[in-house]
Amino acid sequence: MASAPSETAAPAARPAARSGPFSAHKILIAGGFGSGKTTLVGSISEVRPLRTEETLTTASVGLDDLSGVDGKTTTTVALDFGRITLGLNVALYLFGLPGQERFSFMWDELSYGALGAVVLADVRRLSDCFPSVNYFEALRLPFVVAINCFDTAPRYETDEVRAALDLGPGVPVVLCDARDVASVKQVLIKLVETISYSRSRT
Amino acid sequence: MTVPPGDRWRPRGSGPVVRPYAVTGGRTEPAHGELLDLVAVVVATGQPVTAEDRMRQTPEHRAIITLCDSYVTVADLAADTGLPVGVIRVLLADLIAHGAVSVAPKRPASQRTETDVLQEILNGLRAL
Repeated sequence: MASAPSETAAPAARPAARSGPFSAHKILIAGGFGSGKTTLVGSISEVRPLRTEETLTTASVGLDDLSGVDGKTTTTVALDFGRITLGLNVALYLFGLPGQERFSFMWDELSYGALGAVVLADVRRLSDCFPSVNYFEALRLPFVVAINCFDTAPRYETDEVRAALDLGPGVPVVLCDARDVASVKQVLIKLVETISYSRSRT
Repeated sequence: MTVPPGDRWRPRGSGPVVRPYAVTGGRTEPAHGELLDLVAVVVATGQPVTAEDRMRQTPEHRAIITLCDSYVTVADLAADTGLPVGVIRVLLADLIAHGAVSVAPKRPASQRTETDVLQEILNGLRAL
């Protein structure tokens, strides 16, 4: 393969090397601010910090203080980013969509080529996930709504949440605990099943 | 920019010492070709590059070539080097133009169809 000199300093945190080609697939984790996206990504995948430089838009006016740095046109955004290695040939990459509205310009790029999405919902602030639901519906991207069962939140039936979000029949609603790897795994399995089903019909 | 192991005295919160696009010579767009997806898989070709191209390579270019020793995604490269995704894209485009790195086919030969891929993902998740 490559004959690059091995003495070039490789970062200590370098993950296990892959010997062969593999296919990498993107899954988006969306939801309002504080809905548990970071927790979910961290509970099931190997996480590392991922930075991206984004062009500043007027959306950040009043939020990002630019006084005295008039020439600054980009800003660093940290993304939730995790990898799940599935055997030798396949890896899933989870990307958190920044929840705040001022970062919504990044959604298009992150969504490009994605297999599907998980929308995390907090029943105490259900309206926070409306933008994500609307976005994926418009994009016709398969998604599941996962109700993150916070300890202090009231319990609702999934049907009640489905009705409140006015979801189509093709969108599953599941309960989950973003801290629990087994629970998150079930959410991802449901998502991949949903993706398979939607592909088989098109 | 990779932080050398001996560089222990820089506070974590101080941010990068070099402005991100300084390592690309101020370029924010890749020189050739389309924007590489975050999960595009790249690999070093192992082919020798011309002396001129080698001269132009920065330490960041060389760090990327080393990381591309095995198949790796654009997002992995950004996380491994600590460089922003946009910077990685610019540097990768240089290396692809030099012939030092190539983009791997989207799907390995072992996976024949989209259905196979989804089934493989499902099997893998269930086995976690």
